[in-house]
Amino acid sequence: MIYVRRSASIVLFFIILLVLSAFSLLSFRDGEFDLFAVLMGVGACTVYLLLYNILKSVFKHIDRYVLIICILLFSIGLIIQYRLNPQTAWKQFIWFCIGIVALVIALLVIKKAETFGRLNFIFLLGTAFLLLLSLLFARVIGGAKNWIQIGPFTVQPSEFAKLLFIITAAYYFSKNKRMIPLIPYLLFSGVCIFILVLSKDLGAAILYALTTLTMFFAGTGKALWTLLGFGILSGGAYASYKLFPHVQTRVDIWRNPWVAERTEGYQIVQGLMAIASGSLLGMGLNLGSPLAIPASHTDFIFAVICEEFGIIIGIAVIAFYLLFILRGALIALNARTQFHQLLVFGCTAMLSLQCFVIIAGVIKMIPLTGITLPFISYGGSSMISCMALLGIIEGVAVKNGEMDEKEIKSIGGEVL
Amino acid sequence: MNQARKNIRFIIFVFVILFAAMIFYLIYAISVYGERWFVAPYNPRIASMKENIIAGTIYDREGAKLAWSEGEKRRYTADGSTRESVSHIVGDNFGLTRGAESFFAKYLYGFDEDAVERLTGVLQGEKRKGSDITLTISARLSDAILNTMGSRKGAVVVLNYKTGEVLASVSNPGFDPDKVKSYKGKTGSSVLFNRAFMGRYPPGSLFKVVTSAAVLENPELELQTRNCTGKTEIEAKEVTCAGETAHGEVDLNRAFTKSCNTFFAQQAVLLNGERLKTEAEKFGFNLDFLFDDMIVYMSKFTQGDTDIDIAWSGIGQYEDLITPLHAAMIAGTVANKGIMMEPRLLKSAVSPGASTLYTLYSKQYRNPVSEANANILKDMMLDVVKEGTGTGAKVSKLAVGGKTGTAEYTDEKGKKKEHAWFIGFIDDEKHPICLAVLLEGAGGGGKYAAPVAAKAFKKAVDLGY
Repeated sequence: MIYVRRSASIVLFFIILLVLSAFSLLSFRDGEFDLFAVLMGVGACTVYLLLYNILKSVFKHIDRYVLIICILLFSIGLIIQYRLNPQTAWKQFIWFCIGIVALVIALLVIKKAETFGRLNFIFLLGTAFLLLLSLLFARVIGGAKNWIQIGPFTVQPSEFAKLLFIITAAYYFSKNKRMIPLIPYLLFSGVCIFILVLSKDLGAAILYALTTLTMFFAGTGKALWTLLGFGILSGGAYASYKLFPHVQTRVDIWRNPWVAERTEGYQIVQGLMAIASGSLLGMGLNLGSPLAIPASHTDFIFAVICEEFGIIIGIAVIAFYLLFILRGALIALNARTQFHQLLVFGCTAMLSLQCFVIIAGVIKMIPLTGITLPFISYGGSSMISCMALLGIIEGVAVKNGEMDEKEIKSIGGEVL
Repeated sequence: MNQARKNIRFIIFVFVILFAAMIFYLIYAISVYGERWFVAPYNPRIASMKENIIAGTIYDREGAKLAWSEGEKRRYTADGSTRESVSHIVGDNFGLTRGAESFFAKYLYGFDEDAVERLTGVLQGEKRKGSDITLTISARLSDAILNTMGSRKGAVVVLNYKTGEVLASVSNPGFDPDKVKSYKGKTGSSVLFNRAFMGRYPPGSLFKVVTSAAVLENPELELQTRNCTGKTEIEAKEVTCAGETAHGEVDLNRAFTKSCNTFFAQQAVLLNGERLKTEAEKFGFNLDFLFDDMIVYMSKFTQGDTDIDIAWSGIGQYEDLITPLHAAMIAGTVANKGIMMEPRLLKSAVSPGASTLYTLYSKQYRNPVSEANANILKDMMLDVVKEGTGTGAKVSKLAVGGKTGTAEYTDEKGKKKEHAWFIGFIDDEKHPICLAVLLEGAGGGGKYAAPVAAKAFKKAVDLGY
């Protein structure tokens, strides 16, 4: 029996076609030839080719599809970033390259380590430390207190806390099946979520809470306790709606942003206008007016994609995230140990929830909470943590592949 | 591990549903609300598009040019008073109002042209041209109405109740589209505000049409006759008729003709708040009007908790609110055998290549009352003009029906004032016209609004509508 890993190079070819044509278009946009646009396009394609081919040959069992989808999403993001502001696009590109390093490190660590055992306790402390750091020292940007300044950089510690948080959750939920030993860990995650609420970082709080609940359910299968968790979460959400005026404003704006179209509702209204202007096929690259939307390069980038590429590409982006989730789920289902299974599942769940919360918020399906769109939004911390999450997923995929190969070899087969 | 696999599959299934819901919501929202979002005032995109495209011409139904492009400039009807009378319907070139200039931007700026036409335009190296549109309004009728209204603030809407076409919609004060940027502050936004579609006013006695419809639909709850002494007490609070006039022995018909508050207050309590609300919602209250051709704000009916609140809500006070356009639609429903038509504003759109992109078609919107009950209501409304509160709306040789309204409100200075209302129709197959007149703070509806209605009816019939 010979098992051949399918290559995804053909998809990569189309991505390169997209990137090159988009950047050639952008290079002529002001009537003058912009060499940097072409350089950026060529540079990005070179990095993609190197990344894909080197990873593929070093780690034979790497999951090509997850990697390709991530490259595709990043490419769409990069094009939009360049269109909005070439300088942020360059920074984003550098973050992506640093992200690749994070990816490889995460991959290697996961490949080598079995479980992290006692280290998990240190991870717990690390998570709490990072979150407290942002509560105590952070500057307020866009209503949420989640940025701290280190030299010339602003860093979002909650983005890095995510990684540790998922690892510890996977560890504790795979180790214990009964409720009582889990109580301390659940309390700990409650405290983490509470700290995020205090920092007014509601998006992250919701993300952590939902990820904990889904991982808890996946690991322990306790449906009633999970429902209870949802109950507590909804109760907490309702209480914060009653207690905090800024939460009330969010909900009011969601119900009818048009009554405050010049004030609190401005951002969401501008986003909706942008999506509506794009209609099915979009205004065309560089032909819309996305700069009118506040935070167009971070939280509201989905609206820009819809404006310039049309909702058809908007839907395609959602569909690609969906493919990413399904691929992640397959890797989780194929994992050999429960820890790895929950680890991959946790990373997938975190990314998909993040994607849901922000896109549904931008299109006014749910109240808006500002978080980044994975792989697309501008942001160094976000990019690095997303790439590290991808690295964890790939690490487990490689582990699975090696086990598969062993099994196939033992019955006389071969994996190419 | 097998159990965990099952759980993971389940959660992934939930995620797939969430993402699918997101896709469906996006498609739904864009197809239902997309155009409304796009034409919102202060959309910078419409302005930027104008740099590349020469906008088409806007005509009225008689072929008069209301707005057109001359080189880089946008021109509007030269006649100052006509210009003002159609200003809210035509809109402005800067996207500050929601008139045709913004709402029909997709035609005027040529998004609807086919690819071939766009391509020939590009190949000829010309600036692209947008399509021309014809509106259902008549500029002559609008101008006549504005002159009748004079300096009184308010709105008049004239519709064809069989087709739903808006023949005129005048909001006074109007504005000059060339100077639209100079209207600033509170008075400025009051001028730019289209009272006919977006002004929400207490309906006052107009609402008795809805209350009467509720009685006709629930005949067992009809208050037979009642001796009106000019006032009545409900829960130790007083409801009075206008000027505390004692109407004597009244039944539904006579109470309607004389606009007797005490009768309708008692009748509303007898019907109860829930039935009133059901009837009001059949007529389109509390309903998000998603009309194809215009943005109209929602009319409001709140079910009162106490009898006195219910009584006031049944005579169009309490928290009831209605737009002039919706009021005209209610009059039209009575005249049109109980069928409410969707108001229409766009008659046709023709591309620069002379192909027709759109022609008007009528749409039934709702059917709030049966034909039999609509005819009873129609006779009641004809009586109002013949011998009731609405005699001021009489036009010789025409069968005019209507209902007056005098809606109390408290202005910003805390002074008690009254809006004058009149809604009505001509009961004639050849002139299927209905209208609503609202004069802000003018006083009694019969005295002030009904004569304006008479002049509008006469002018409309003279023009052949």
